Amino acid sequence: MIEVTSVTKKYGRKKVLSGVSFTADKGQISCLIGINGVGKSTIMKAIMGLTPIQGGRILIDGQPIDKHLYEKVAFIPDTIIMPPQMTIGEALLFMKDFYARWNEGRAEELLSFFKLNRDDRISDLSKGNAAKTNMLLGLALDVDYLLMDEPFSGIDMFSREQIANVFTSHLIEDRGVLITTHEIHDIEHLIDKAVLLDRGTVLKEFLTEELRLSEGKSVVDVMREVYQT
Amino acid sequence: MKVTFNNRDPVYLQVVRYFKQEIATGRLQAGQEIPSRRELAGALHINPNTAQKAYKEMEEQGLIRTEGNSPSRITTDERVLSSLREELILDAVHTFVSSIKTIDVPVDELLHIVKEVYAKERSKE
Repeated sequence: MIEVTSVTKKYGRKKVLSGVSFTADKGQISCLIGINGVGKSTIMKAIMGLTPIQGGRILIDGQPIDKHLYEKVAFIPDTIIMPPQMTIGEALLFMKDFYARWNEGRAEELLSFFKLNRDDRISDLSKGNAAKTNMLLGLALDVDYLLMDEPFSGIDMFSREQIANVFTSHLIEDRGVLITTHEIHDIEHLIDKAVLLDRGTVLKEFLTEELRLSEGKSVVDVMREVYQT
Repeated sequence: MKVTFNNRDPVYLQVVRYFKQEIATGRLQAGQEIPSRRELAGALHINPNTAQKAYKEMEEQGLIRTEGNSPSRITTDERVLSSLREELILDAVHTFVSSIKTIDVPVDELLHIVKEVYAKERSKE
């Protein structure tokens, strides 16, 4: 489980996170929802230890962040960070050299799942294919937790569908997934948990199926209630 | 397999309902093998946890049976199977009644309209 407890974060004098708390379980898809600038990406960076926090605590399976954590958690940023002159095949080799947890079999499977061509140069990829390649590089790591920053933004609907299909396949297996998004429509029925953020705090955290059962509300219904009052 | 999900009812119950329809209409037969949880998740594009929950619910309702490690099957219990059709019909009628009762229509007139519209719809199929 990823436990985020009362985390505060300032950039200079600007407070970005003011006491954020939530959990993301293994074997579940949890989703951080909020408009741009509410601190979604900052939370992800904080979980990965990529940015210092001023208060609070982040635990992964009960352990604080240290270098061994990177064998357990993978972060998929919102843009591909591989050198653009590399081909997809070279990027896969690069990952293989760098990460002990690289799973070559799964990488091959993802390559055909996304219908990507290993000879294509990263700089020549369409936005959709760049996003898929980016997903591939993270998903092929044998980690327990995957953090994905805005995996659906700025790409065409078919690419979005293909990426969404990963979540219903064995490629995710029993891993814990934490996604950020400001566009919930594509994945509303796919997620186990929603965490609604606004201006650096959590407004509501709920299990989507439980809320549908008890109150007959969709995630969008709850967002309307929470954000428009 | 194709199901259009709404976002307000629990997805797992919508999956159960889909199976009930398939059984009641005979597209799924008594004793027939059904997909694994993972296959179902892939086919319906749903979260594997939801597929798992749907199967658990169907097991509790006696709709499917799983023995040991073998694949789950549709029940052969005649009592369960025959009550399904009735349940689906009653469900649909209740939904219809609750939305029509706000418009004060005499029953005879209503039934007449239902008959007409229903016949028209059926002829399109």
